[in-house]
Amino acid sequence: MNGGSFVISQSDKRPMYLQIMEQIKQRIVVGDWTEGQPIPSIRQMAVDLSVSVITVKRAYLELEREGVIVTQQGKGSRVAPSAGLGARLREQELQQHLEQATRIAAQLGIQPTQLEDRLREAGDRISERENA
Amino acid sequence: MRGSVTGHLILKDWRMNRPLLVLSIAAGAIGLAVVQWGTEPAAVVGSVWFFIALIMVGTMLPLGGIVNERKKQNLAFVMSLPISSMQYTTSKLVSSTGMFLVPWVTLVISAVLLIQVRHTFPHGGIPMLLILAMMPFVGFSLITAAALIGESEGWGIAANVACSSSYGLVWYFLSRIPTLMVNAKGPVAVWNSTVVDVLCVELGLVALLLGLTYFIQSRKRDFI
Amino acid sequence: MTDYAVEMSGVTKSYRYFSLDNVHLKVAEGQIMGLIGANGAGKSTTIRILMGLVHQDSGDVRVLGHRMPAEQVEAKWDIGFASEDMRLYDSMSVGWHMSFIQSIYESWDDKYAQVLLKRFGLRAEQKIKGLSHGQRVKATLLLVLARKPKLLVLDEPTTGLDPVARHEILRELTNVMADEGRSILFSSHNTQDVEQISDQITFIDRGSIIDSMDKEMYLDRWRRLRLEVPAGVELPALPGIIDVKQDGRLAVATANAFEPDLANAYENTGARVQRIETMTLEEIFVANVEHSREEVEACEVR
Repeated sequence: MNGGSFVISQSDKRPMYLQIMEQIKQRIVVGDWTEGQPIPSIRQMAVDLSVSVITVKRAYLELEREGVIVTQQGKGSRVAPSAGLGARLREQELQQHLEQATRIAAQLGIQPTQLEDRLREAGDRISERENA
Repeated sequence: MRGSVTGHLILKDWRMNRPLLVLSIAAGAIGLAVVQWGTEPAAVVGSVWFFIALIMVGTMLPLGGIVNERKKQNLAFVMSLPISSMQYTTSKLVSSTGMFLVPWVTLVISAVLLIQVRHTFPHGGIPMLLILAMMPFVGFSLITAAALIGESEGWGIAANVACSSSYGLVWYFLSRIPTLMVNAKGPVAVWNSTVVDVLCVELGLVALLLGLTYFIQSRKRDFI
Repeated sequence: MTDYAVEMSGVTKSYRYFSLDNVHLKVAEGQIMGLIGANGAGKSTTIRILMGLVHQDSGDVRVLGHRMPAEQVEAKWDIGFASEDMRLYDSMSVGWHMSFIQSIYESWDDKYAQVLLKRFGLRAEQKIKGLSHGQRVKATLLLVLARKPKLLVLDEPTTGLDPVARHEILRELTNVMADEGRSILFSSHNTQDVEQISDQITFIDRGSIIDSMDKEMYLDRWRRLRLEVPAGVELPALPGIIDVKQDGRLAVATANAFEPDLANAYENTGARVQRIETMTLEEIFVANVEHSREEVEACEVR
């Protein structure tokens, strides 16, 4: 188990620690990393990613604050053993996407009620593609 | 710690300068061989070759080994090793002088032996030979001092030019000292007080130059 | 108690046309410190003083607990130094250099050295004069890495390297961090490399340290605010904003101590905050240097 398959994107303008946090959450969401499973230590992750220890430390601290991982002194870090973590993270992702959609819609002058229709249309398009 | 770092540096210098030592001994040996031909022109040509070999090694060792190390930026590599600047100076003085003495002693002893065994040269010339052979040694000390203290190619070259141009002058003055030349063509080597004095002065100069180098280097605060 | 791999305080060194002024620098054990500065800013001088190659005029320097330059020999047993103006012996081979270093240092790890040889694409029989610039740099770094020294001091380790070589070097440098007792101080004007692997960053300009901070803090505190300024609104001077460039109705404010309140403060005056952008380390460095030079000039005028 290592962080070797994580990739930091240079063109991604977001800070490195956020990218690391997101990729860790992704692992949990898709089920590669399960609840309670140990994850690489901060140093190991830094070495695997070729990034500074301090950046990984920050990512882990934020993740701990959000309840995604837990760190024990001397025992390393593990995915938080709380039930439904994967689902909760998916929820958060959905929330972020919805908020972003609302923001972009607002820039285009589209009201939230009109947005509802657009959402239904999008749902229909997706089912069409899946049934085809 | 495996052995002293200074020792390793000295070994390194020897390893890197081996070709030069071999070349200079070969060149000097050729000069001695030519002298054995017996004719006067051969004696002149051979002797010149012999001295050029000594002068060459006395010049190339400091210019190649010391100046070049700085010029080619190898000095930072050496100084990154666990040594002080004084240990570096010591290693350079020891290795350069040692490396100079190998061909010098070899060639001078060979020349003396040849004079004694063969009859191409009168034995009276042996003291003069020694006095003349000491000159490249003094020259070597001067160039080494300039290379280490002056820290630049310019100083090394300046010292080299000063030496090369003064050999002739020094020889001129020495040859006008009657007590030196009086026995030069005789059958026996005569070590009169003048000869001994001149040799002592030359040796003294070598010791002074090398010692002064050590002293001045120890006073420096910036090494690179 | 924190152990410091490097401690410099009040270090001053004067040359004819340049002087290093009152340098304070601390590298904690287990950290990577990146030193960023323009050419001639004083990075190399600082590093040389640290290595004991140059005597400081005043100030205290301690490396791995040893006072420099007095105890430089003891210190250098545990320091791996590579600088951009350092050269290996042209006429000798990579393998000869490896044996040479191995004969001096007991800590030489030959297995790791062989791994590095392969990783860096070098061959022991190659003579240094036949190597390209990138290969030379990698050879020099190999000699320094295979000894596994407690402290690595590197002056411009990735300058002039192609992207692949840079990537290889950065990977080896971060591998060093697996051991929390080892530290690295490296100087560079490649801000991308510094941004990626440094824990702490120090900016140096014209002989003075202008800033030294935790990298994440730098990235957090510096922001660019793009503002739309309606007619009749004058932008106030706000604490934490070091520069405002305005052209007509659009303005860009650079903050070096960003708080969300700053955006609110602008909005309160009637200006509209279009975007708040993060800044790359390069942008931060340039803005910081310009700001500090302006301040110095302002002081001199008074």
